[in-house]
Amino acid sequence: MALSNRDRARLSLGLQAGIFIAVVAVLIAIIDWGAVQSSFFDLENISGMFPEVITVGLWNTIRYTFFGFLFGLIGGTLLALMRIASFPVYRWVAAVYIEFFRGIPAILVFIALGFGASLAFNLNLSTLQTASTALAIVGSAYIAETIRAGLQAVPKGQMEAARALGMPAWRAMVTIQIPQAFRIVLPPLTNEAILLTKDSSLIFVVGMAGSAAELTKIGRDGILQYGAGMTPLVVAGVCYLLITVPLSMLARRMEERSPGKSSRRRPKKKATESPVTAGVK
Amino acid sequence: MSADTAAIPAGVVIENLRKSYGDNEVLKGISVTVDPGEVVCLIGASGSGKSTLLRCVNRLEDPNSGRIRVGEFEVTHPDVNLDAMRRKIGMVFQQFNLFPHLSVLENCTITPRRVLNQDRAEAETEALHQLQLVGLEDLADRRPAQLSGGQQQRVAIARALTMKPSLMLFDEPTSALDPETVGDVLAIMRDLAQAGMTMIVVTHEMGFAREVADRVVFMDQGKVVEEGAAEQVIGAPTAPRTQDFLRRVLNPLGE
Repeated sequence: MALSNRDRARLSLGLQAGIFIAVVAVLIAIIDWGAVQSSFFDLENISGMFPEVITVGLWNTIRYTFFGFLFGLIGGTLLALMRIASFPVYRWVAAVYIEFFRGIPAILVFIALGFGASLAFNLNLSTLQTASTALAIVGSAYIAETIRAGLQAVPKGQMEAARALGMPAWRAMVTIQIPQAFRIVLPPLTNEAILLTKDSSLIFVVGMAGSAAELTKIGRDGILQYGAGMTPLVVAGVCYLLITVPLSMLARRMEERSPGKSSRRRPKKKATESPVTAGVK
Repeated sequence: MSADTAAIPAGVVIENLRKSYGDNEVLKGISVTVDPGEVVCLIGASGSGKSTLLRCVNRLEDPNSGRIRVGEFEVTHPDVNLDAMRRKIGMVFQQFNLFPHLSVLENCTITPRRVLNQDRAEAETEALHQLQLVGLEDLADRRPAQLSGGQQQRVAIARALTMKPSLMLFDEPTSALDPETVGDVLAIMRDLAQAGMTMIVVTHEMGFAREVADRVVFMDQGKVVEEGAAEQVIGAPTAPRTQDFLRRVLNPLGE
């Protein structure tokens, strides 16, 4: 007997629900929930981590990421401008920098900076300086490519109009092209901030004093302190989400109301070669 | 007040201008003279080089050889101050090219403020005056995307005029417009011509050329084929290629 479309849709929905319920039932049956709870959700451990996980861990993660992103943004903008400069040496230097730091794991930069800066440059960097510099070095490589794409997404006519009005090239870049490019790249830049937030955890390889500990360090210390349970890592993970989920919601909202959406609409192509043909068509 | 000191219209001399893209020579020795206050329309088929010629006049394109002079500026001289020169040459584009991140008013004030260092009040007074002349002072706070094509093009004209240019270049200013808004833009251009502005207009609007232009230059394949009074070139062309082009434009179905 042939099923109507509506029956078929209902059957499909019922099947999906049935499979879901079966999987959940199996999980409930085979997993030792007591063990899971004591390993990952130990309430005593959780309450023991407050308030330091917020006042020290979350706060330091935000600080390291903020400064890393800020300097990465400045460096990335400079690199993007070098990538499109007319002086070829700038283009090569920027291209090599970007390829290099996008191509190696971020953790190498943290190690090199954390242990190498004092040897090579006789610098004694604080944890904040090490973390934010390492994030800026890595982040600027990614941000540069994002911003370059944004600059090139601004229609060529914008620069031409600005130059035709008599703006010098740098003025047209600062007043016309860069502001429009930033609007285009705001959503991808927000995603970059999310990636840097997570990469800030890599500072643990360098080690740090308790007061400089960020979320991952706090989580690891918690494990050592409380024994076998993984609860401190779960708490740290949730704290990362406190940063990254609002950021990604922000990015999505900016994408929805991106100013380009209405203005990107292209003017019609030559509608009429002459007013005479318009009437005939 | 500077708002009332209109610029003195400049003359244009183009001598033996050549421009190539690779092996493709798009301007093959063009010589055209435009007197101060004169309106010249460049007509011709797509690819005839008329837009390239126009863009050479303010050096958006660099010619390979030849000479251009606009008023006191030796446009093609290697040491010319390009920015100072362009401030005296207004340009209106086919695609308007308004700055979408700025309001209509800011579009008209940004260059006077940032480049001529006018203070905000002075720049806004002049911008509102120019917007009033194109009938759009009520839309000063809007963004370009909120305007129709015809309105955007009128703002683009006002924006160019806030710089007090001595010469206005129009690159197919009505080709991207809906037919019903073409008339508003052409009317403003006619007013500007009657006010004594020197204008070079690349256009397919034969009616406008006939009514407003002092002279019409017909170009084909990078050369000037025919030039003269609008009545003569459009009404009674002598060169076979001009006749052929105008027959296609004015009577596209070939009846």
